Amino acid sequence: MMHAVYALIQIIVIILAAPLVNGIIRKVKALTQKRKGAPLLQMYFDLFKLLKKSVVVSDVASWIFRAAPYIAIASAVAASLFVPVTAWPESQGYAGDMILFVSVLALGRFFMMLAALDTASTFGGMGSSREAMISALIEPSLLVTLFTVGLIAKSTSIFQIMHFTAGVGIPLLHPVYILGFAALCMIIIAETSRIPVDDPSTHLELTMVHEAMILEYSGRDLALMELSASIRQLVFITLLVNIYVPHDQMIALYGLSGFAAIAVSLLVYLIEVILVSILIAVIEVHTVKLRLFSIPNLAALAFIVSFLGFIQYFVLGR
Amino acid sequence: MKKYGKYSGMESSREGESLLEAFHNSGGPGTLFWVSIILYAAAAVFSLALMKNPKVCTLVSNGLCILASLFGIATSIINIAIEKIHTDLYVFQSAIPYLSVDIRLDRLSSFFLLCLSVLVLCVSIYAIGYVSHYFGKRNVGVLHFLYTAFILSMIFVMTSGNAVFFFVAWEAMALLSYFLVIYESEKEENVNAGRLYIIMTHIGTAFLLIAFMIMFSYTHSFDMFGSSAAIPAFAKNIMFVLFLLGFGTKAGVVPVHIWLPYAHPAAPSHVSALMSGIMIKTAVYGLLRFVFSYLGVQNTWWGVAILVLGIVSALMGVAYAFVEKNIKRLLAYSSIENIGIIFIGLGIAFIAKAQGNSIVCGLALAASLFHCLNHTLFKGSLFLGAGSVHFASGTKNMEELGGLIKRMPVTAVLFLCGALSISAIVPFNGFISEWLTYQSLFSNILPGHALINILTILSVAVLAMAGALAAASFIKLFGISFLGLPRSERASNAVEVPGVMNVGMGILVTLCLAVGLFPMAVLQMLDRVLTGFAGISILPQLKNGWLTAFSPLSISGNAVSPAVIAGVFAGVILAALVLIRIIGGKRNERKVGTWDCGFESLNARTQYSATGFSKPVKIALKILFRPSRVVKTEGDLVYHPESIQYLVGIEPIFERYLYDPISRLARSISHKIKYSVQTGSIHAYLIYILLTVLILMFYNRIA
Repeated sequence: MMHAVYALIQIIVIILAAPLVNGIIRKVKALTQKRKGAPLLQMYFDLFKLLKKSVVVSDVASWIFRAAPYIAIASAVAASLFVPVTAWPESQGYAGDMILFVSVLALGRFFMMLAALDTASTFGGMGSSREAMISALIEPSLLVTLFTVGLIAKSTSIFQIMHFTAGVGIPLLHPVYILGFAALCMIIIAETSRIPVDDPSTHLELTMVHEAMILEYSGRDLALMELSASIRQLVFITLLVNIYVPHDQMIALYGLSGFAAIAVSLLVYLIEVILVSILIAVIEVHTVKLRLFSIPNLAALAFIVSFLGFIQYFVLGR
Repeated sequence: MKKYGKYSGMESSREGESLLEAFHNSGGPGTLFWVSIILYAAAAVFSLALMKNPKVCTLVSNGLCILASLFGIATSIINIAIEKIHTDLYVFQSAIPYLSVDIRLDRLSSFFLLCLSVLVLCVSIYAIGYVSHYFGKRNVGVLHFLYTAFILSMIFVMTSGNAVFFFVAWEAMALLSYFLVIYESEKEENVNAGRLYIIMTHIGTAFLLIAFMIMFSYTHSFDMFGSSAAIPAFAKNIMFVLFLLGFGTKAGVVPVHIWLPYAHPAAPSHVSALMSGIMIKTAVYGLLRFVFSYLGVQNTWWGVAILVLGIVSALMGVAYAFVEKNIKRLLAYSSIENIGIIFIGLGIAFIAKAQGNSIVCGLALAASLFHCLNHTLFKGSLFLGAGSVHFASGTKNMEELGGLIKRMPVTAVLFLCGALSISAIVPFNGFISEWLTYQSLFSNILPGHALINILTILSVAVLAMAGALAAASFIKLFGISFLGLPRSERASNAVEVPGVMNVGMGILVTLCLAVGLFPMAVLQMLDRVLTGFAGISILPQLKNGWLTAFSPLSISGNAVSPAVIAGVFAGVILAALVLIRIIGGKRNERKVGTWDCGFESLNARTQYSATGFSKPVKIALKILFRPSRVVKTEGDLVYHPESIQYLVGIEPIFERYLYDPISRLARSISHKIKYSVQTGSIHAYLIYILLTVLILMFYNRIA
């Protein structure tokens, strides 16, 4: 019973916080460009508006196109269960395997790419084929990074990894964690369609990847697609935060327990998410979008960094 | 799998156990096995006898095969469930020394027999409908005869007890499958594919033959279950290399894979399903039987060699699959990838065994055997799906397909499920074996083995990349052929295939989902197989039971529960539907054309093509593909040519840089021999005879 309650808290926090991350990123970008920018809560208004609108569907589209938004949101929400946002009282109760995590996210991507091909639109095919390249290139570094931190913690469960790092002091001072952090930052940028890999705010066929895939969507379907993309983004940010700056640590530090522990860790988590969002916004401001065929270089860099992290810890010794 | 559950349930109660034992003592599994063999043989005989009437012939032959496969399933399940390690069936000693028929069903054989029987069951159901498009065009009786004989030969490969009989069955399997490959012999490409196949498979067989000869020269026995203690270490190393090359050729590992992408697609689709689904697994069986269990794992480098082959095959196979536009060839390349994944598991098992790490060894063996079963299920269903597409549209070329989801809705759903399974997506079965493979890689990384650790983490990277590319390949396959607008007349005229074909495919897909949701059932079976075959039990690492999470390692928390995840998916979808209904009211949908930028000229040709879809990856991995592009324009005007010809291609690096030089060398040597030795002069030949006789006399004198 407790599990279900915690899972529900987890889901609600992630769904409610996800659009806020987009808001923060947009706001920071606007401020650096000396604009006022849209309000922080703009995406909530957009989603609410979209839900009330009617849906325009291509006459070529099949049931895949209509089912994809729901499957995408299911995959994103299910993935959010793997990255704890608050402290869990019972340490053994939470099993979030990282390979399963990757596979759950793959389900959403699978259907999004299929839906893009479903409408016979050239844009959809283009986005889908580019996404295929990016995912194939970035997946190895993701798995190697996760394996490295998992091997240190001797578990493939993200929760166990987080628990382990909580006990070792400040992990970011250790070289293996620094390399992993750098790799994971690059991976997050690629996985969440951010500059320099993709530009979420453009509709120019030369550059768009994610936007091209969801170009045909409208109304509530679009709302679901946008929401699931932002949940994906928050899930990846949470993954980064959990592994490298676990909020569990704070509880251990002050010896909190029970309700206070949950509240404090949730608060710490939210602050960390805001900081990472600002970091992503700063990266977006300071880089330009890469040419499509320069993305393999970025992916190679991410892979080398993650691989070096592994070598550093397991071959050269700790 | 459900059946197994029933039997294992029976077994847990003492009454059931004694019942099974009693059944076994009365010759139970043996009787069932012989019944199934006789039914297959009857199917072969009837298919020849009823050749004149193709309809009756198809029904009778496939009906008998379905019955036979049911008996096969029963045999293997009972054989795995009983306490005895193996069942010796029949030893027929002929007058010729060492030529005997030994049939020995141990749990490993039974496991492969189970994979085969399940696949044969579904494929035979499917064939009743599929074969109908040959009626009146080709001799269906011969097809059914070859099909059943091919199944029989595979059964004997999996159950033979001595190397000679194994070799005979192996060769029969190769020849029968060759005839099936060239069944549609009026097509030039099929004949070429068959020729390449028979050459490659015989090269592989030659390696096996040498290995068996070495085996005999030291032990004076062909008993596969005997002891290899008499063989010295260096000979074992040689034998390992020979077995690896021989079985590797049949499995289609890179670089001896070149026949597979041509031969598998050339055969009729239901036969392709058998070839890709189970025939290449006989090589895995062979490696386990002859190397793992007969020779025993001697050195760490054996495992390293298998692992490297696995890594290379997984990556190359999926890379070539992704750029392929022929549906069946894409599936064949994907088989190379999956064999690569199986070999990664095997390699880890061999390494762990050589280092005495039996927990990791058991886990890796379970992973690779599980992937064998899974690949049988999903690759079988996908080849059947490809056959349905071919049946309905008459083409296997993705560039001519499109929009089939509206014309063949049932096939489309089944194909999609198969694609999800092979892409290792929860809650389908492909994920489970991939997860086990990852777990065995994870636990294989131990401090102190620098090279093995690097190799293992590279395997992780390769598995991840292969997984993403495999998903992309099947998105391409499904998206281009089933979605969008039809790209040709053939595709727009396609209609749904007969129900019986979808039943055959549907059973496989249902099994994919069932195994994915309840993997413990299969793992409990695999535990029995492994305790019987390798003496390793994986159950202590498996916690909890059936429906709940299971953790394969003693590390707490490494748990995966596909059923729970499937429940979460369903719950979220339901909640989303309800919430949106509350907020936004009833779904109000308008249908308009796809956005065409206002040009109003959107048609099937403006869609993305299969070639275009794979282009970014082709360019990103150009070091492997070496893509070429030729643009030919006609006409005087540079910007308005009369016609443009645009040719793209990739360089077949293995054919060009490995096989072409070898075949050129062989040809030049034979050319030289033709002119210097085979001169045509009778005097020269007489001298050869004289010299040969002299040499033999001297040899006899010395020896």
